[in-house]
Amino acid sequence: MHSRTLYRLTYLAAAMSLGHHLDHLIRHNAVGWPLTGQVNAFTISLVVYPAIATGLLLYRAGRVGPGFWALVSGGGAVFVSAVHFGPAAVEPPDMILGHYDPPILGWLAFTWLVTFVAVLAITCLYETRLWSQQRQARRAAPPATGVGSKR
Amino acid sequence: MTATPPPAGRPAVRPQPSVPAAATGVGGAVVLVGTRVALWLGVQLGVAGLLVLAGTTATGGQPLNDAAAWWMVDGALVDLGTLAVIGWLLRRDGGSYRRLLGPPTAAWQVALGAVGVLAASVPAMAFSAELTSAVYGDATPPMFAVVDLPPLASVFSVLVVPLLAELAEPVAYLGVVLPRLEQRLGRPWVAATIVVVVWAAEHALYPVMVSGGGLDLGFAAYRVGSVLPFLATWTALYYALGRRLLPIMAARWAVNGGTALALALGQVG
Repeated sequence: MHSRTLYRLTYLAAAMSLGHHLDHLIRHNAVGWPLTGQVNAFTISLVVYPAIATGLLLYRAGRVGPGFWALVSGGGAVFVSAVHFGPAAVEPPDMILGHYDPPILGWLAFTWLVTFVAVLAITCLYETRLWSQQRQARRAAPPATGVGSKR
Repeated sequence: MTATPPPAGRPAVRPQPSVPAAATGVGGAVVLVGTRVALWLGVQLGVAGLLVLAGTTATGGQPLNDAAAWWMVDGALVDLGTLAVIGWLLRRDGGSYRRLLGPPTAAWQVALGAVGVLAASVPAMAFSAELTSAVYGDATPPMFAVVDLPPLASVFSVLVVPLLAELAEPVAYLGVVLPRLEQRLGRPWVAATIVVVVWAAEHALYPVMVSGGGLDLGFAAYRVGSVLPFLATWTALYYALGRRLLPIMAARWAVNGGTALALALGQVG
């Protein structure tokens, strides 16, 4: 069974990712290929769009479930957090907050980023719960009757 | 009787049978929030009055700032009052406190969920840290800088206050106020938005600070802004976790208890 909430959260996360990439384009710092010749975190992050498109096709076809999406969302949350937050961040908040004039635009972009990562993390937990529920439901379901079984 | 897990395809926001139908309705929610607001103000004013009577502080705005040193301990009285109102509402509506915490949750689910809640709170921590840095630079924000407690009160603020806070605050807002607003408004996202805004606004009161002869509205605004992302995240997680409160309470206890411990040990401020 397909979850409408899962679809909506996936579209929301994709839209927020697009908005954050737009923020990169406007600031024009911490960008990489195809805008510059350098392959960096920006370049790697573009993988998310084909991953989401492929995932949606596979999900619609019933080939992947919430567990797959939990990995995509969780992986995305960890990746973006590692790039932007924490002591080892290659693109710390100052690179966003300090590159807009007026500064309120920097705060808007930073708030967008924070919301984006929160959406990814919350989506990951929702998908993990969904995955766990589906596993429990499968385990609780009575085993299918064999072809040659007698009444 | 065992709880049947909701079908996977259902939206997570549908009110669940575990939430008791509230005969007291939104009025009960208003009483609950109003009690918390009144207690925050009343207790700090009461402590300020005691300090003036004891002659340990000057008059004017100073007693309020001096009383603010006790705001973490004041929280225990506010939360006890909150629990009393929750108990009163439950008696009128015929529910139980346990049902307010959501569907049955195994210990390992609470532990795993709490780790997830903490991880999902990282963006809110980053936002709050940047906001603090923008407003106060390297200085300690006032709600931590003002805390100055005798040893016994410090122990109380580490061991008892965070526990009481978790038994009262998230249960009040997510377990009592939110379902009543959902019932009244019929739109969970509107109800959730109202809860987050009111919950954040309440934080402007602890503690109330005075600056330049009037209320320190800049600090109040900072306080609201710094907690807003946390409360929005936890409210969204409440839905994401199928209205299970225990993982959120456990994660919040770790954060608030850790902060209280750091303050008591002099690691902050």
